[in-house]
Amino acid sequence: MLDAFSRTVVTADAKGAAIGSEDLSDLRKYVADANKRIDATLAITQNVSCIAADAVAGMVCENTGLTQPGGHCYPTRRMAACLRDGEIILRYVSYALLAGDSSVLKDRCLNGLKETYLALGVPTSNAIRAVEIMKIATVAIMTETNTGRKMFKGINSGSGAQCQDIAAEAASYFDLVIEALS
Amino acid sequence: MKSAVTTVVSAADAAGRFPSMSDFESVKGSFDRAKARLEAAEKLASCLDKFTNLAVDAVYQNGSYELANKDKCVRDIHHYLRLINYCLVTGGTGPLDEWGISGMREIIRIQLLPTAAYIEAFIFIRDEIKINDVMSQQAETEFKGLLDYLINALA
Repeated sequence: MLDAFSRTVVTADAKGAAIGSEDLSDLRKYVADANKRIDATLAITQNVSCIAADAVAGMVCENTGLTQPGGHCYPTRRMAACLRDGEIILRYVSYALLAGDSSVLKDRCLNGLKETYLALGVPTSNAIRAVEIMKIATVAIMTETNTGRKMFKGINSGSGAQCQDIAAEAASYFDLVIEALS
Repeated sequence: MKSAVTTVVSAADAAGRFPSMSDFESVKGSFDRAKARLEAAEKLASCLDKFTNLAVDAVYQNGSYELANKDKCVRDIHHYLRLINYCLVTGGTGPLDEWGISGMREIIRIQLLPTAAYIEAFIFIRDEIKINDVMSQQAETEFKGLLDYLINALA
């Protein structure tokens, strides 16, 4: 598993060169944005069940056959498995966002996920839709562009508008999930 | 690789939980030190050749080691300083542990190179070179901490 720091090191080691000023500018930005990054991660961790439940509910609403007998979310046991997977994906996205690198998400969550779903008979097109909704919800909560109340309380009293860059990064991790499933 | 954030994330993942408040605190703690670390890494990168040559010249000057080994010594000291540069960037001892220390002592010995010369060179860098001239006090502390770690591991 890598983070923004060790990713730079692995890249530099492949060239056999020391890490000089030009390579350090990205890391300095990462350190300077640390508070925003922590706030953005909090936006996920404080709303996990809400984001996952909304995404699964949205997926079912668009395709009501899922909860009918014979559907993929019938009986409730399979619906519960679906909610659980949503939370697991959110957990790995939150790790990747904190680390500033996608390796933890790729290695520990996405590697083999599509094969597992195919073997279990999970329809990947519906799973992808749920991930899309989670992406939209997460970005909205992070940047405070959701309708209604403010959904998270950061430790650094920063406003969501300052989290735009980090929210874009979070969206890119959700895109990786979608890419892995399609 | 072990570094500031990955240890926290690994522990959280092993327990299957989301990053908690205490995880954020420890990540923040390592970021507070990061400024000094990154400065030390930057300055070390620019003085890597200078430090290496000064140290190796000083060690091989008094004739207690065979001059034939000097080139290899320069190569290895340079390599170790590069790994220290990496450790300063990651904020952990991961790069030194994984690429520099495990097995390295055996390799040095099998090539009949004197480990004592290496240790002397690092002690020279730590004690004799005025590191303060090129980097700030805090950055120097971070750098010397890693030199100490390496010296203890090789000794």
